[in-house]
Amino acid sequence: MNFFPEISAHRLANGLLVLAAEIHSLPILSHQVHFAAGSRYEKPGITGISHLFEHLMFKGTRRVKPEEFARIIQAHGGTLNAFTTTDNTSYYENLPAEKLELAMDLEADRLANLQLTSETLEPEREVVRSERKLRSVNSPFGLLIEQLSALAYEQHPYRWPVIGWDADLKTLTLEDCREYYRTHYAPNNAVVVVVGDVAAEDVFRLAEKYYGPIPAQTAPPPTITPEKPQRGEKRAVYKKVSQVAAFFAAFHIPGIAHPDLIPLQILCTVLSSGRSSIFFQKFEKPGKAVEAQAEMGSPPFFFMDPGLLQIYAIASPGFPLEKLEREIWDEVEALRRDALPAEILLKAKKQVRSAFLQSLQTHFFKGLLAGLYQVRAGDYRHLYQILSRYEPVTADEVLQAAGKYLRPENRTVVSLQPVSQAEHDELGEIE
Amino acid sequence: MNPKPATPPFTLPPIFSAVRNGMKIYVVPRAGLPLVSLHLIFPYGAETDPPGKAGLTDLAAEMLTLGTRQRSAAQIASEVDGLGASLSAHAGWDATALHLQGLKEDLGRLLELLREMVVEPSFPEEEFSQLQQRRVAALVQQKDESQIVAGERFEEILFRGTPYDHPVYGTLKTVPLISRDEVQDFYRRRSLPEGSFWVLVGDVDPDDCFRRLEAHFSILTPGPIQASPFNPAPPQGIRTFLVDRPDLTQSQIRLGHLGFPPVHPDFYAFEVMNYILGGGGFSSRLMQRIRVELGLTYGIRSSLDLRRQAGPFAVATFTPTATTFGCVAESLSILKSFRAQGASKIERDEAVQFLRGSYPLKFETLSQVAQRVLQTEIYGLGIDFLRDYPEKIEATGEADILRCAQTHLDPENLIIVIVGRAEAFRRDFERWGPVEVSK
Repeated sequence: MNFFPEISAHRLANGLLVLAAEIHSLPILSHQVHFAAGSRYEKPGITGISHLFEHLMFKGTRRVKPEEFARIIQAHGGTLNAFTTTDNTSYYENLPAEKLELAMDLEADRLANLQLTSETLEPEREVVRSERKLRSVNSPFGLLIEQLSALAYEQHPYRWPVIGWDADLKTLTLEDCREYYRTHYAPNNAVVVVVGDVAAEDVFRLAEKYYGPIPAQTAPPPTITPEKPQRGEKRAVYKKVSQVAAFFAAFHIPGIAHPDLIPLQILCTVLSSGRSSIFFQKFEKPGKAVEAQAEMGSPPFFFMDPGLLQIYAIASPGFPLEKLEREIWDEVEALRRDALPAEILLKAKKQVRSAFLQSLQTHFFKGLLAGLYQVRAGDYRHLYQILSRYEPVTADEVLQAAGKYLRPENRTVVSLQPVSQAEHDELGEIE
Repeated sequence: MNPKPATPPFTLPPIFSAVRNGMKIYVVPRAGLPLVSLHLIFPYGAETDPPGKAGLTDLAAEMLTLGTRQRSAAQIASEVDGLGASLSAHAGWDATALHLQGLKEDLGRLLELLREMVVEPSFPEEEFSQLQQRRVAALVQQKDESQIVAGERFEEILFRGTPYDHPVYGTLKTVPLISRDEVQDFYRRRSLPEGSFWVLVGDVDPDDCFRRLEAHFSILTPGPIQASPFNPAPPQGIRTFLVDRPDLTQSQIRLGHLGFPPVHPDFYAFEVMNYILGGGGFSSRLMQRIRVELGLTYGIRSSLDLRRQAGPFAVATFTPTATTFGCVAESLSILKSFRAQGASKIERDEAVQFLRGSYPLKFETLSQVAQRVLQTEIYGLGIDFLRDYPEKIEATGEADILRCAQTHLDPENLIIVIVGRAEAFRRDFERWGPVEVSK
């Protein structure tokens, strides 16, 4: 049974793809614009520009004053936000259904007429540096996770964080921003999604009216350097003031469209989803770990290019980190050696299916599925196959995937070693 | 681009209710996805933790999920995961909630599991000691989270001497002192007490739900269990409390004072007022000034935390060490000017339009619907609250906002909590009043 409404698609002459799904349960809709812009499209020296630019998109046009975009949408009963990842930058408004035209008018306006000035860039640069402090520098594990990606990847842009390096955030120029806007914020580099209480034909008519006149741009040249296969474990230590020791590990896995992601997701579920999972029963419950997780994202948040499956554990005070890590790898090795018992596989499939159905409750998330599959995998229709792809997975396929990807040679590990304030200071300022 | 005055009327989903075996039951049918969301609420929360036993109510709630007469904790976990369901049992302020969400096809199994946990919990000794150990480890780790440290310190000072003076999940001092027998005894004395109620939302039939609950559940303990009312402390000027964390490069800031409960007649005016002051994101004055114009922070907001008695009103933000004092001073001056002048007509209109227009978005998921319904019951608002909310918001004028600000904002008497490099800004705050520094 399929619980996703039918999606109608319409491509404008300027290359913009418009997707519409009609759901009439509540008088609301979600309007979203997803750009193929994110940290994977950046270069060293301008890391973080995708995310900084997401902030600048709220800085006004000739018609709309800085930050007035949000005020107008909210004053019409809407909520809105934007987010940047490695693979996309997305803007959305969830609002009363009859306000679609307003949302399209405003989104199209900033796509065509954004005003970029140093008066708006400078305070926003500091806002983003404050956000970086919040998310990375002052968060217990933020810098550790940054180091994990930086070590796991040697060539691919996934090696720097979406928020960017502080040194780059300090030196990015207005001209860098203008260039980024010119090349990435083009209708032929975007997909518009509307889900909710509206007729598809009205969506397409309004899209023609507002987005139609915006000219296409020459597509940015592909800059991705593919990552070479890892040929042995990589390890690093990160020292900071901390109450706890922890390790974060990453295994290279394929990108969003690859069929191996399905058995890998089953593996992550078996390892750490729910209280019957291996990690809860063996590590969290008996007090060895405060937390232990295996994560690779879930649809539609799989990486576009070959990504990382992360396994991390925070050691309980008094339990040695080395022992915890060794025991976790023993569990992972067991999954590489023995096929899952039938009942465990069945349980994991039901968990994944149920989680997916739960996520379909909002128009917003349905829109994300369509928009992000389009941007990351090149075709929104992947979303129709998600549920049916879990059911046929066999224990042997899960075993094969574990054997292939959870090898020690494919592993990168960064461990957090707590130090005193004096030693923390001696190691230099963090930023 | 001014907002049009008329937003089309939104009608609440039909809410069916009944009383069976002394329990109130609310059912909100929602077809579309084959899901059910079940909530059983006990009318007491962490505010009834005995003195020195902070965390007892919450521990007792989680112990219900860790063993019954028929099933071990591992069997319960397997059963829940095997149904693709999610289970939680936690105390809040004023109420304790058991929540099970799963697939419609498993409704019978889900209710049976809840029955076992509520009526036949076994409180296994080993499960309790492991749970206690997990909670202590999590509390240790939490000391690294400056946002949590700031919030806890703020409430600890604000609510000193009241039933809200401790975190719901307890503290490193109290959790190790609680015994398994205490937990069992605590629960037994208040097992399914009078005032317990249900909220069921999803692809269900109301009559079927009433029948099923009637067959398996009834009130077991008479008499209401609630904390005694408390009176606010007298005004004490501005007091600053610094938590010294030399390793941080950015300060976590909370400033505020006691608010009031949602049954208060000023609640609607406060909703509109707070949107304009600091609840409305980029439409708010705090965000506009502190983030947009000054670039001092990524985020700032003001909020009133809802409780049966007066909850905290707080402005929460963060800023680099060097701008800490300036950020607090600027926030305070916004509070003062708002209290003096109130809001403009445009601000009032936009706030009302937002709160009315976005109201249907608060009824999108099963959990959202359930939360709306159960809040009205816990806070004694009556289910009509949900229907009347947009109208009452609409009836709020500029004069109401000004009166509300002058009655409920008190920038001359509040507490400031900052987690960060205390020595970098301690002297600045001493100009305003007493400053206490702790580790």
